[in-house]
Formats: sequence, C-alpha cells, structure tokens
Amino acid sequence: MTTSFADHLRTLPDESLAALLQLRPDLVVPVPADVSALAIRAQSRVSVARALDGLDQFTLQILDAARLTRDPEGGGTATEAILALATSGPHPPAPAAVRGAVNRLRALFLLYGPEHDLHVVGGVDEVSPYLAGLGRPAAELDPRAAAVCTDPAKLRRTLLAAPPSARAILDRLAAGPPVGTVPPGALEAPATGEEDVLPPDLVNGGAATGSPIRWLVEHRLLVRMSAVKGGGSVELPREVGLLLRRDTGPLGPMRTTPPEVSSPPREAKSVDSAGAGQTMEVVRHTEALLEALAAEPAPVLRSGGVGVRDLRRLARNLGLDDPTTALLFEVAYAAGLAGELDLTGSVTTRYGGDQQILPTGGYEVWRAASLAQRWEQLARAWLMMTRQVGLVGQRDDRDRPISVLSAEAERAGAPAARRSVLAELADLPPGTAPTPEEVLELLDWRAPRRARGREAAHREVLAEAAQLGVTGLGALTSYGRLLLAELSDADERAADPLGLHSEAESGEPSTAVRALDALLPAPVDHFLVQADLTVVVPGPPDPALAGELDVVAEHESAGGASVYRVTTASVRRALDAGYSADDLHALFRRRSRTPVPQGLTYLVDDVARKHGGLRVGSAGGYVRSDDEALLTEVQADRRLEALAFRRLAPTVLITPYQVNRMLTALRDAGYAPVAEDAGGAAVLARPKTRRAPARVHAAGRTLDPLAAPRLPMPRLLGVVEQIRRGDAAARAARRAPDVVRGTARKGPGPAHTHSDALAVLQQAVRDKALVWVGYVDAHGATGSRLVRPVSMGAGYLRAEDERTEMLHTFALHRITAAVLED
Amino acid sequence: MSGGPLIVQSDKTLLLEIDHPDAQACRMAIAPFAELERSPEHVHTYRLTPLGLWNARAAGHDAEGVVDTLIKYSRYPVPHALLVDVAETMDRYGRLQLANDPAHGLVLRALDRVVLVEVAKSKKLAGMLGAKLDDDTIQVHPSERGRLKQALLKLGWPAEDLAGYVDGEAHPIELAEAGKDGGKPWTLRSYQREAVEAFWAGGSGVVVLPCGAGKTLVGAAAMAEAKATTLILVTNTVAGRQWKRELIARTSLTEDEIGEYSGERKEIRPVTIATYQVLTSRKKGAFTHLDLFGARDWGLVVYDEVHLLPAPIFRFTADLQARRRLGLTATLVREDGREGDVFSLIGPKRYDAPWKDIEQQGWIAPAECTEVRVTLTDAERMAYATAEAEERYRMAATARTKLPVVRALVERHPDEQVLVIGGYIDQLHQLGEYLDAPIVQGSTTNKERERLFDAFRSGEVKTLVISKVGNFSIDLPEAAVAIQVSGTFGSRQEEAQRLGRVLRPKADGRQAHFYTVVSRDTIDTEYAAHRQRFLAEQGYAYTIVDADDVLGPKLPSVD
Repeated sequence: MTTSFADHLRTLPDESLAALLQLRPDLVVPVPADVSALAIRAQSRVSVARALDGLDQFTLQILDAARLTRDPEGGGTATEAILALATSGPHPPAPAAVRGAVNRLRALFLLYGPEHDLHVVGGVDEVSPYLAGLGRPAAELDPRAAAVCTDPAKLRRTLLAAPPSARAILDRLAAGPPVGTVPPGALEAPATGEEDVLPPDLVNGGAATGSPIRWLVEHRLLVRMSAVKGGGSVELPREVGLLLRRDTGPLGPMRTTPPEVSSPPREAKSVDSAGAGQTMEVVRHTEALLEALAAEPAPVLRSGGVGVRDLRRLARNLGLDDPTTALLFEVAYAAGLAGELDLTGSVTTRYGGDQQILPTGGYEVWRAASLAQRWEQLARAWLMMTRQVGLVGQRDDRDRPISVLSAEAERAGAPAARRSVLAELADLPPGTAPTPEEVLELLDWRAPRRARGREAAHREVLAEAAQLGVTGLGALTSYGRLLLAELSDADERAADPLGLHSEAESGEPSTAVRALDALLPAPVDHFLVQADLTVVVPGPPDPALAGELDVVAEHESAGGASVYRVTTASVRRALDAGYSADDLHALFRRRSRTPVPQGLTYLVDDVARKHGGLRVGSAGGYVRSDDEALLTEVQADRRLEALAFRRLAPTVLITPYQVNRMLTALRDAGYAPVAEDAGGAAVLARPKTRRAPARVHAAGRTLDPLAAPRLPMPRLLGVVEQIRRGDAAARAARRAPDVVRGTARKGPGPAHTHSDALAVLQQAVRDKALVWVGYVDAHGATGSRLVRPVSMGAGYLRAEDERTEMLHTFALHRITAAVLED
Repeated sequence: MSGGPLIVQSDKTLLLEIDHPDAQACRMAIAPFAELERSPEHVHTYRLTPLGLWNARAAGHDAEGVVDTLIKYSRYPVPHALLVDVAETMDRYGRLQLANDPAHGLVLRALDRVVLVEVAKSKKLAGMLGAKLDDDTIQVHPSERGRLKQALLKLGWPAEDLAGYVDGEAHPIELAEAGKDGGKPWTLRSYQREAVEAFWAGGSGVVVLPCGAGKTLVGAAAMAEAKATTLILVTNTVAGRQWKRELIARTSLTEDEIGEYSGERKEIRPVTIATYQVLTSRKKGAFTHLDLFGARDWGLVVYDEVHLLPAPIFRFTADLQARRRLGLTATLVREDGREGDVFSLIGPKRYDAPWKDIEQQGWIAPAECTEVRVTLTDAERMAYATAEAEERYRMAATARTKLPVVRALVERHPDEQVLVIGGYIDQLHQLGEYLDAPIVQGSTTNKERERLFDAFRSGEVKTLVISKVGNFSIDLPEAAVAIQVSGTFGSRQEEAQRLGRVLRPKADGRQAHFYTVVSRDTIDTEYAAHRQRFLAEQGYAYTIVDADDVLGPKLPSVD
C-alpha cells in the first residue's frame, strides 16, 4: 500500500504537492529525502493524528464512512458509496456537504486516489481503531456472535426482548465508543438461592440470570473481550451497533455546521461596559497585589512557587478569593511585573527559601502607562502564558498541593486552549453570550479529537476571560476581539520572516488599547469634600491627585470612584510628610469642586497647632548649669568650637560628641565640669586602677587538706551498699554461662539454641525467674545480660535488669541463647 | 459612556451624586435594593448587601432588573464580577419556602433539593426542623419560625415566607383625619403615607424616619390599616403616655380602649402600651410579664425606638413571627452592632428617608449644629493629664470651664426655650444652680416630670436641664435650642436623638440650634467627632467655634 501511495504522490503535479505540504506543514520538518520518505511520513501515526486533530466532527464522520465502505479485500471505496452511506440515515446531510468533506480529506491526503477508487491512508486505522464509534464486525470477534448476526430478523427480535437496563447499556455502547468495562462479578451467575438478593434493576424480567451484562453476553449481543477476575471488557459487534443506530443513521447524528447558540444575545454596549468595568478592577487589583508584594515580598518555596499561606495573605489584602488572587499573581508574573530576587547571604526563612518574589523594574513602567495599556499587557501575558492556573490549590499525583508559580501548573497547551476557546467566541456575532456548555459543544464539534478531555481546562479559560475582562456578560468584548485579531496578525507576521508585508512596529497604542480607552472613564483631577470629612473623587484620579490624597487622607473605597476620609491621623501624616497647614488648605481649595466645609478647615488647623509640640532628637552629651551666664561663656568660648554646642534651653547646651571628650575639652579650657550619670548623680572621676580577678585567701580554707575527710554515717552506709552492689554485679557478669557468652561451640547448632532459648524465655516469663540472655546488638557485637523477663510478644522480649533497675527490650531474632539462672 | 449620576464601587457601595439632574430618578430606582448608608451634602452612599438584595427579591424585583438599573444609571462601566455577584446572591433567595401545609402545618419546602439537604445537615438548624415529609418538604415547629428564618439567613439561603400573618383579634381603628373633638382636620404627610404603604405591603419591617418627623402617626396609620388589637412597646412611661395622647387625638380610639402596662399600672386593653422596662424586669431570674405577648391575639406589634430594643425582647420577638411587626426608629445604628438582628426578627427596613429631604419639605425644623471648643484652664489640664484613663472622659466632659460657656449660649437665645442636656448628674446639678433652672433626671418622679415638661411647653420654664432620660421620646415641640455638655462617650444615636429634641417644626419656621460643648485637646473632642458621625453622614455640617468667640462680644449675626 505504501508503494501505491508513494506512486500516487509521485504522479502529482508540483502545485498539488505544495498544497499538501501547506496543509500539513509537519511533513517538511525535517524536509524528507524523497517522495517515498514523504509518503511514509504522511502515513505515519503521528502525522495522521495531527491531521485528524484539526478536523471537525462532520469531516471525521465522513472519513469514518469512507472506512466503513471500503472493500474488505482491496481497501478501495468511492465517493458515491460514501455519499450513499452518509445519507442513509433519517436526517441525511446535504450531498454537497458530504462531497466537500470528501474533498477536504483528499486535499489532506487522508483519502487518496480517484473518486471511484478512494483509499484511506494507512495510519488512520492505527490512530482511531473504532470506526465511527462502531465495534469490529462480529465475524472478527466471535463466531457465535457472528451466527446471531447473520439472521437480521432474529437479531432484531433479540434486541426487542432485551430488558430496559440491558437496553440502556446497549444504547450507550452504540453511541460509541463500543467497548465497556465490566465490573467484577457481573458475569457470574448468581448463586442459587440468592436470586432475590440482587437489586431489582439487575434482574431481568423475573429471569434471575444475573446482571444485564450477563444477559447481553449470553444472548451474544456483547462479546467478552478479556477476562480479569470475573470482570474485564466487552465489545459491541458492528452489526448490532448499526441496527441500534437506525434512528440516527449509521454514522450517528450528523451535523454539517457548528451547533447553534441559543442563549439570548446581549447588547454589544453592555458587554463592552461590563468588560471595561472588569478591566479597571483587574488593573487595580493587580496594582494592589504588587504593592502588597513590595511591602512584604513572598518567599519562594524550595519546591518552587509561593506557599498557600502567602497566597492567603495576599488574597486577604486584596479582599479577593484565593483562586482569583492566584490568577492575578500568575498573570502579573507572566507579564514580567513580578520576579524573584536572590536573597543575599544565607537567610533562611521558615520555609527555607532563598528567593523572594518582588515587583520588578518593569512594574514602574507599567504603572506609568494608561489604564488600557496596562490591561493590554496583562491580557497578552495571560493569552501567552503556559500556565494552567486552575490547578493551583488542587493536589498533584503525589497528593501534594499545587502552589502558585510552581512547576506543577505548567501546561504547554494552555495558550492553544485559550486561543481556541476565544476563537469560538470571536466567530460568533458580537454580543452573543453562549453558556459554557454551548462553548464546549462548539469546541467539540470544531475539533473533537482536540476538545475531548480538556473540558475542565476550557471552562477555566472562560472563567478567566471573564475575570480579566476579555469577555463581559459572557460575550467577547469589542476590544477583546481586536486584541485577538492583533495576535493572529502578529502570528502571520511571524510566518513572514522576510518582513515583506509587515509594517514596522510603531510606538502607537494598538487598536485594542484605543478601543478600550474610549470605554474607560477619563482621569479626574478634582474631588468633592463633604461635611462628614469624606473626599470623593468622582472617577479614576489622575496620578498627581492620587499621590496627594494618599498622603492627606485614608482610602476608604475604590472602584469607579475613590472615597477617602480625612482624619486626625491622616492630617498628621501629611504634616509629617512636609505639608504645612497652608499647603493643605490650598490643596483642598484648589482640588475641591465644592466649598471646603468649615469642619475640615478647623481640623487641619487644630492638628497643625499641635503638630510638633514635642521635639525629639539625639545628642552625644549635654552641659547644664543654673548659671546662665556661665553657659553663655562656654558656648562663646572659641576653644570649644569643635564641640559644636547648641543651646537647647537657657540652662542646657548639647553637643553631638561623647561625654569624655567634652570633659577633657572643658577641663583643658579651664572649666570645672562634673559628669552626671543617667539618673543625674555626679560621677566621680577618680582614675581606675587595674586589678586581676579575685582569688581565695589561703587562710580562708577551713579544712586541713591533709586531714582525712570526715564522712557522716548515712553517707558511709550508702557507699558500702554501692560497693556491694557493684561486687554482686561483677560476680554475676563473671557467672554468665558459656552458652550465653557465645564462647562455647559445643552442643547443638545455632538454630536449635535459638528455639531452645525461646522456650526457656517463655518458661521464665511464667515463673518470673532470672535468665541469662545472650544477644547480638545492633553493631554485631555479642553481649549477655542477667534479666528477669516480663513479657514476650510481637517479636520483642521485655525484661527487667535487676542490677540497673531498667526495663530492656530485646529483639527476639537477636537473642542467641538463654539460660536459667541457677 | 453614559454620564449617569451613579458610581459603582468594587466594595459594593454605590455613590450617588446629588447635584446630577437624574439623581432623583436614580434614587427611586435603586432604593428597593440598595441601602442608604450616608447622605451628606454632595454624594450619598448606598450599599448593596445580600439582605437588601433578598428583600428586593421578596418585593418582586429580579436580578436582571437590578443589573439593568445599575448599568443604566452608572457613569462608568460596572465590573462584570460585581454583576455576576449580584445575580448569584439574588438567585439564592427563595430556593426554600416556608409555607402552610394543609395537613402538616408550617413546612419548609425546597425548590432546589440540594439546598434543602445542605441546610438540613447544618448544625445551626438543629432542633428547629421536624420530620421529613418527603424529599422536598420538612416540617417546622411553628414556634421556631423566627429563629429558623434567622438561621437560614445566616447560612445564606433565605427562605421565602409564604406562611402569612395571623389577622389577630379584629378591632375597629380609624384615622381621625377630619379632626376629633373640634380639632383641626389634618392628613398624613406623603412620606408617612408611603412608609405605611411600604410597611403594609411587606407585612413586617422597620420604618426609619428622623426625630420629629411624626413616627407616632406612622404607627397610628399602620394600626388603622390592620384594624386589629395592637401591642405597642415603648421605652418609658412618659413616652407611653405621649403615644396614648396622640392616639386619642388622631384616631377613633377612646381613652378606654387604650391600656397602659407599666411599672405603675397593668391594664390590658385592645390597644396596650407597654414599656420595655416592665417586660424585661425579672423576679428570681424569670421574666414575669411575658404573658402580655399572649394575653390577647395581637394583630400588630409596634416597637417604638427599635434601636433600643433590649436583648431579651429579641428572643421573645422570635416567637411572634406570625404577627405583623412594625419597628420605628430615627437612627438604626446600634453601638452593639445588632442592626442585623433587628432586621431579621422585626423585618427588613421598609422605608427610610434622609433627614435633609424631610427638612427641605419643611416637616422638621432646619437645624444649625455647632461644636464649641472650650480650652481648659491650666489647673484642669494638669488634673486631666494625670488622671486615670477611665476617669479622663468624665473629667474632660464635666470641666467647670464649660459652665460660663453654657450660660453665654443660653443668653444668646433669650427668646427661645432651651434644653441643656448632660450625662453626669453632678454636672447637671452644678448647671442647674448656675443657670437657676429645674432639673429632670432619672430619680425625678413621673408626676414631677410631667409637671416640668408641661411648664416648659407652656413657656413658664425657659430653660430645662435634663439628664439621659431626655434622650428619647419626649415631645417638647417648643424647644429650639439644645446645649449638650456631656454624653455617653461616643454614642452616635444619642447625639442624633438629642438633636431630635429640637427638630419639631416651629410655628414660624425658625431655625433650631444644637450646641455641643467640648473640651479641647482631650478625649472629649475625639468622642465628639465620633458622636457627630451619624449626623454628619445625614448632611448636618458642624461648625466649630472657640469658646472665646462665644464668651466674647456677640458675633455679627449670620442670618
């Protein structure tokens, strides 16, 4: 077959070959050596799978039709045969659509050959073993099943006789895939007398024959494929499947166009509005997140990522839930707004990380950009990032939680998933707001092989798009549409390496940014002040105004507008930051659209009046005197200029220098200062003499070192008892029998000794007798001990050592011998 | 971008710019689901709360409508997440229903079985639910109706209460709008009418109106609507008698139909007025007067000054869920933060009017609020600086330096009736001597009180010194000036109630004056700032003046 496919390729004109390569670009990486190599590659499992991945549901069904209508011997089929099969159902698709699908398949060379003799490329069968979700023909599966299938009328009767529960199984298998797993025991006949024990839905019409699967297998409607411990798998023969599909057509329900979206459309304006509102939130929250990171950087875990404790802290800070915070964090990181910083030195935090996550330098640039530009940067980062944020907080294969920014949430396919979902939305007319289920259906039709198994990821994409304001009210926003278009343009430009068609990257904001800008409110440079001392900025404050308000007022609520409250503390903070009362009055007058309430003016004056009532500073030392004239003299003395005296009060001078230096300088200048300590007491300036540490006077010792120490009687008795006990122990050690010490090599073998030892020990436990135990310790050294066994069990002997009065535990397998103490 | 008057904040507050041409329309549109939080002069703040949204659902508004209103009036794009949140919150209402089952009595019925399963498992509902009747229905003990509703609210699955109200024992009550016994004809004011309608449509709830705006009439109109026996709970005996007077004057009720249930008298009549105090009085740890609630088949229970509702009454109220309940207050701020309990047990806020609106309509007197800052003498400052922390407020609030300032203020208004209000008895006695004015305090007998109040009303007594007893429910229409010298720390509602004493509209439309005398640079100032917050949020702008300006030559007049 390969040869014939290669031959076929060889006969093609150059244009057709080029067209093939364009449709299946993976064939030229690397460039095949010759046409045979190209043919082999085009039929390879990988390349065919790739080509099939991109096909929609209908085209795949037509490919199945081609495979079904193949001549079993030669493998050829014809367009007419395909057409006949495809339109044989009760709701036949238009013949033109079928022909179109066939042409698509031929262009991809999944089908080749002339119309009347079409062949299916070899790889297809390898990639998808079950044709159109149908099982193999009965003849291939089981001769007995084949026998049943040869008589269509009888087959039909059997089917009709199937109990409802069995019929449900059949219908599920008929919709495909045709293979099902069987729970263990389902095929066993119920034990006699237990027929009634089965739940009613497993019993078939009173005939207690076991489970419905057993009924089906017994009636040869299902064929048992493999048996594993009473369970295994079953397959539905093709003939049965086709019979069951007579309501939908042999290929199952066919749809030539994508499923319709029935959700009510939204007004494009409200969609944009909701989305734009969301973009403001996203940008504001991201900024808050990064500010929180700047205030307290998040340590990086040893295993990578940021711990859940830090994520929670950030979420609390932002007033958001954990998943949203995780998304913003990931997006900000992907956008290059946050990054790791190596900690200098070996600072080990509780987590042991050596890196922290902080806002990057790029954050400053980002912060200075307009709202729309900031959002675009985030949205692009989200579209491109290879992260599946939904995994954060779930558990990985080893049941460990997946943390933010960790490697476990990395998914190379994430950008493609986002693009495919958003492309579906972009294909719909503006304002269409499909439900997530409808989007999934669309994706499933568009590229079933790709969509299957990724439903969760696709749902996540929709949720994230809503959170980021790419969609609003479930529909794609106008600026989101523009952003996607720009990205596809960028892709096309990238495919044009010589830059023949590309305009130079201009500094102009993109169309998406401009569209969004038009939707967002313009910055406001004024506010309204009210009698309850709240300050309302009726829109996004321009940066200068925001900076001023952050200093003079407390932020209370954010969103479309900002509400601040002026408090005593905030006014004090402004005064600390260098504003004077007049500056504050001027600020409120200049910025306020409404008359400044008297209460506010009074508050500012009142706080300013008290501000600075206490002054704090540091000094090295002071000079004080009740004689003001003397202090004036000291201050004026040119010889003391170096001390830089400052007059704090009529009777106090201070200097930044230390007391000793001041004392010397003053004395040199002919004054007579006296030093004071912290409590104000005079410090005597007698010079200190150096001395070695104190020693004990010999005469102080009360005892003659040569005289024998006098011991009281109780202590002596104690000593004696100690000696006696030591003696007994020494004797006992010596007395250890040879068997136990392991020196004797006579007598029976070690195994025998061991079992003997256990018997001896058991007896000893019962008698509470003293036993010599010989054992090998953990290091392989032998030892012996005289003990009184207490208990034996679970592989251990517990025994009391009378000498040391301790309880010992011996592993039984380490005990070499045991001898009763005689 | 629509240039609407509303700005939606991400913390679910709504800012309404008052000067915008659409502001009025917008206010009407958002009032059903958003709660008015602050109403200063330029920008009013509303808040979207789950409770408010559920009440809107109960009143027949759906999430789509709420979202549309927000989008329609919003000046800036509304964040998608907030809209989703609103829709989801509203969707939680009514998945459970409390209904009367003909066979089993009160039942909790689920439109969403999963919710019922979740709720039934909750420990918080232990003991409230009875037998499970089927998958979607669980029996409820009728006595647990209030507590169950409250608990469900806390779980976030508010039940729609379809069980209705008992009508109670019928009793004819009409409003005597034509004038009674030769009185002048009168009509309910528009906002009073609206308040009663909102209350009656909702069945139960709280009506918030400023002091002096005629809450008693709202109560009377509600009674006329119910036409049933009514229990009225008030704060004290004097207030109870005022109610009685007002009811006799304004409704078809006669003196014999109204009973007083207080420390002095224990009458139970078709309309009974009881004080909180007598209901919560205990003998040997047991509440002895609870039988009052069951004494008659009350068709309506009115709670006057509901913000003062004592905690035990909360518990009894939970048992009264089948009766219509009306709460009346001017300031639904409780320093104990139990506003939520008021809403869930008495009912949601049914009507709320900003003070300044009522003032503009001329139903309450315009008031000028002034804070006079007194500088303590050096000796007083020294004493204050060395005082114990718990003594500081008392020392600052009762500083003698305040006395001449108070006198100067009284002398400023020679033609007006002046109330001097304070919290410390010693200080009041000082003031009484200094100003030569009678004192009303807690120990003054009811008889003596009535005598002094009458004298004050008639103008015989020009200046009256009153303690905390004057905080509430004293109707002294002629008082035009109130001078506050000390109070209960930073209590916001006390400040509002005291201002309320002078808000009764004056015959000639005169302005009312409210002075609060505060010691500068002490904790007194901080408490004063906190006390003023509620009124400031209602749009009352305090002017701050120095005591020297008051004591010195008279300032050029402002008007």
